[in-house]
Parts: sequence; C-alpha cells; structure tokens
Amino acid sequence: MQLNTSASVISFAKQLEADSASFYDKMAERYPKAAELFLAISKENSKYTMMIQRAYYGVITDAIEGCFAFSVKTDKYTFEKEPGKELDYTDALKQAIDIEEKLISFYTDAAEQSKAFMADVPRTFLIVAKKRKAREDKLRMLLKET
Amino acid sequence: MAILEEPIKGIVEVKNYIDGEWVESEGEIQDVVNPVNGEVIARVPISTKEEIDTAVEAAKASFPDWRRTPPVARARCLFRLKELLEANFEELSRVQTQEHGKTIDESRGETRRGIENVEVACGIPTLMQGYNSEDIASGIDEYLIPTPLGIFGIIGPYNFPFMIPLWSAPYAVATGNCVVIKPSSEVPLSQMKIAELVDEAGFPPGVWNVVNGGRTVVNGMLDHPDIEGITFVGSTPIAKDVIYPRCGATGKRVIAQGGASNFMVIMPDCNLRATILALMTSFFGNAGQRCLAGQNVIIVGDDDRFYNEFINGVVDTAKKIVIGNGLDEEVQMGPVRDTEKKKKILSYISSGIEEGAKIILDGRGDFKIKGDYPDTCFLGATIMENVKPEMKIVTEEIFGPTMGIIRVKTLDEAIKICDDNPFHNADAIFTSSGRTAREFKYRVKSGNVGINIGIVAPMAFFPFSGMRDSFFGILHTQGKEAIRFFTESKVVIERWP
Repeated sequence: MQLNTSASVISFAKQLEADSASFYDKMAERYPKAAELFLAISKENSKYTMMIQRAYYGVITDAIEGCFAFSVKTDKYTFEKEPGKELDYTDALKQAIDIEEKLISFYTDAAEQSKAFMADVPRTFLIVAKKRKAREDKLRMLLKET
Repeated sequence: MAILEEPIKGIVEVKNYIDGEWVESEGEIQDVVNPVNGEVIARVPISTKEEIDTAVEAAKASFPDWRRTPPVARARCLFRLKELLEANFEELSRVQTQEHGKTIDESRGETRRGIENVEVACGIPTLMQGYNSEDIASGIDEYLIPTPLGIFGIIGPYNFPFMIPLWSAPYAVATGNCVVIKPSSEVPLSQMKIAELVDEAGFPPGVWNVVNGGRTVVNGMLDHPDIEGITFVGSTPIAKDVIYPRCGATGKRVIAQGGASNFMVIMPDCNLRATILALMTSFFGNAGQRCLAGQNVIIVGDDDRFYNEFINGVVDTAKKIVIGNGLDEEVQMGPVRDTEKKKKILSYISSGIEEGAKIILDGRGDFKIKGDYPDTCFLGATIMENVKPEMKIVTEEIFGPTMGIIRVKTLDEAIKICDDNPFHNADAIFTSSGRTAREFKYRVKSGNVGINIGIVAPMAFFPFSGMRDSFFGILHTQGKEAIRFFTESKVVIERWP
C-alpha cells in the first residue's frame, strides 16, 4: 500500500509504534531476565507516538502540503507483532533488531520525503529514528552478551 | 486503512445561540447535506429579521459589562476557549469534513488555523495597549486609548466553516465588543460546535451569538443601526456590490473579502518536485474551493524541455490524486460542496475549451472515486493548456479543481498578467533565484505574495491581505489589523492646572 497524505502516515506511524510495543511486551513475558528493559522499551513507544502526534497536530495547516507530502510504501516497514514461537532468546533479539532497522528506515525515509513540506514532522521523525538507533545499539549489545 | 468515525450521527437540529441560550427559530428549515454521499446530516433554520434583532438586542445589553471587564479577564475566557478547542480538536475537524467534504488533513489544518487566531487574541492585554506622549506642551499630556465600539456582525462563507469566522470573532470579543455570527447555511455545524464551547468557556450571555440563515439575516445585519461593523468573506459580487456599499451607506466599518484568480509563476530554475507538490495543494487542495487557490500557472521562458518536463510531472501527479470521502485518511481530494457549484465549475471548463484552451487532463469524467460513493459532487483534477489571460477561466473566479497553463517568455510578461487581472488576492513565484523572487515580490500588486509557497495563507498574527477586486475595506482580519478594526482610537489631552 502507498500512503501520500500526512493523516495516513501519522496513523501508520502510530500503528507501527503500537505493534512494536506489543512485540516488546511479549518479549518481556517470554524472557523474564530482560523483562525490565523490554517493558521500558515498550513504554518508550507511547512517548514516540505522543511526540509524533504533537508535531503533526501542531504544524498541520491548510497552507502546507498535508495531502501530498509523502510517498510511503508500507510493505517495506511492516513486521510481526510477536517474537516467533520457535525462536530462542538470541533469535528473538535478532528479530527485535530487524524491527528497529525497519522502523529507523521508515522514519528516515518519511522525513526525507516530507522535509520540504511538513516542518516539525520530519524533524520529529528524525529524532525518533535517532532514539531508535540508540535502542538498536542496546539490543546489539544484549545480543553480544548472549 | 479504516475510514474515521463520523462525529455527526443522525440528523442534528441546528438552533440559534442567542444571549447564552440555544433558541429555536421561527424561520423555515433547510437541509444540510454531506456532499460525499448526499445524506442529510442536519437541519438549519433560515432565521427571521426579528431573530437577528433579538440577537443584536442581547449583544447590546451585554456590551456595557463586557466592555468593563478587564482585558486580562476577557483573555481568560479566550484561554479557556482555546483549551476546549484543543480538547475537541479531532471532533471539530471531522465535523468540518462531514459538512464540507474536505479531507481530514485539510480539516485539521483548518482547525489549527482557527485556534491560532484565538491564541493571538489571548494576548489582548498587550495588543490593546495605547500610547502616550508626556508634555506635548508644558504640563499637558496626550494619550491614545483603543476602545471597543459595540456590536459586530460576522458573515462566514461555506469553504472554511470553522476557521474564517475565527479570523474576526476572537479579536472582536477580546477588544470588548460583542458579536453576532452568521455561518453559511450550507455548513452551520462547525460554528454551532464552537458556540457550545464558547458557552462552556464561560463567556457572559450575549457576548457571542450565532444566528443561522441567509439573505434576511445578512440584510438584518447590514441595516441594523446598532451594528457598528461587518466582516464578510464570500464572493466578489456580494462583497463589492452589497456588503461594501451598504456598510458605507449605514456608516459601518467593513472588511469585505471577495474572490480571486491567483497565479503561480514558474521559473525554469525552480525545484521541480517541490514545486509540483506545492501546486497540487494549491490548485486541488480543498477541491480548489479557496480564495488562495492557484487558478492559473504562468510558465516563464522558452525552454521547451523544462516546459514538457513540468507539464508531464504535473499531469502525472494530478492523475494519481486519490479522490473520495475526506474521512478516509488516504484521500487527497474530497468532493466540491454541492451540485450547483459543480455545474458552475463545469461551465467554466466548457468556456475555456470554447475560447481555445486545450484539455490535457479531464477531470469532468476521467477520474475514479475511492469507495462506493455517488459522483454527484465529485470532480477530478482538470488541467488546460494554451490558456490566454483574457479568457474567462483567468478573469473570473472558478473555485474548483482546475489548473490553466499560460506560457510567456519573460518575468515582465508574467507580472503584467498578474497585475492586469481584476483580482489581487494571492500570487506566487517558484524559483531558486533570490534576485528573481525579490523582483516579483517587489513589483507584483497582490495582497498575499508567495515565494515557493503554493497557498499564501498568512498566519494569525499577520493580516489576511488582498487587493483590488479581492478586498473591499481598509483594515484586514487577523492580528494587529483586526485589533485596530475592532477598536476606536480615543485621544485624551490632559492638563491639571
């Protein structure tokens, strides 16, 4: 599916954040040794959602290209909401890293597409991408420790 | 992606809001139709002269106390209103989409713009300060006090049902006046919702009144001796031939904003992708129903390669515009407001063809609607080449999703076309040259000038400008000019012997 409007991209971002949060909630249930970290990560997602919504509702006006600012192909960024049932901890971590890579790529691509049009929205997307990069690094450290 | 839930369910019986009460009208009732599917979503009264008189009486009775209310206290009412508008942001936006047809992004944009005017008016304690000179002669001081005038009438159009009355009302009440708002009878729900929040915000009864209706209400406002001024946004014939002269005849202040036929001047050195997307919003956003919409593109230069690349890019992008229900978040263009407006747009397209324009994208029938909706009010994007400045599709306002393409050799010719047009609401240039942009900005006689901006919509702290046949009056809505419009300058000279 291709998304062009700001409204649809913001809803898609919200969905990705919710899906990713539910992934980490399951990780916390399944791997109690890192539950605290996974729950904290899941909680962070709602903060990102809030940041993105605030940026969008704060900047959207009739004068900017809200309906034409994006060209997002959603298939590239979707992922499983749960860690694979057969996966051990190491592979589940790899799946989490893969999700983070997809989300970083979504936020970076969407920011690039809309940078001339949506003011604070691409800036917020880049902030979220940066925070997710830090999260990805943390997950890679965990993976190394296994 | 799912279609957003409609906030209006069933049929809303719209009432007038007079003296802090919801009052039924004695007038006849008119249906309010959602243009997406033809469903009746509300019934609005066409109020009588007596009802507008009652509203003015209520406003008149409230004025002395409201005027005495300190500006900081008036600002607190506006702060509460602002908070309530924010809290209800999404519902207010969806109501606009339901009653008007615009996309949800456009409605949210309209809500934001409306709220920004309330925010600016919250600064009234400083905005309304006067000035003074000590010792204009020895021992004599002189100062100016901006004072409210009384009651103002605010007449709104159908294309921005939420935002446009807010270009005036927050400033009018912030400065100590009382208002009577007449929303467009085609789209009365947004103003009804705002009035509900005004009530909740605790404005005293009679300060903010809403009277629904048509010509009778407008005439009642224009003729009423107790109304000090009118702000109007609508078509040029009404602004020029009705509102402006009638206000003059009855000694009222007036802001009468009319129509437009705006030009987007394209230089070959522009950023092509950004320009094309800006033009999509400018020409086809709000289905072309806005006075800041581009109506014609003027392409400068004889670079055929650029011309063809530009035309192909514009047509390819416009072809892909997703048309449908504005509550579907993927939709980029909604329907026009009603069948009469659609007919008028179609007749302009026919007139363009008759006068020699060539259709390169035909939005009259060559478009798909996303979802199962009748095509009653829908149109696709239409693009016409070989357009000449003297054609009706240039000299008159179309108010629909159409783009005419004019080609000229020089920037001088482009500016001359802009300046020879009777309207001067908003013109823009797309270029990467600062020198060219400055030349355009300096010379073009337009109220709102854009540089690489397709919709030249001034922020709330700037006046919504406009010139010649696009504007009748002196001061404009929004910002400091609105404060000036809604106040009289009282000058005091003081000596204490």
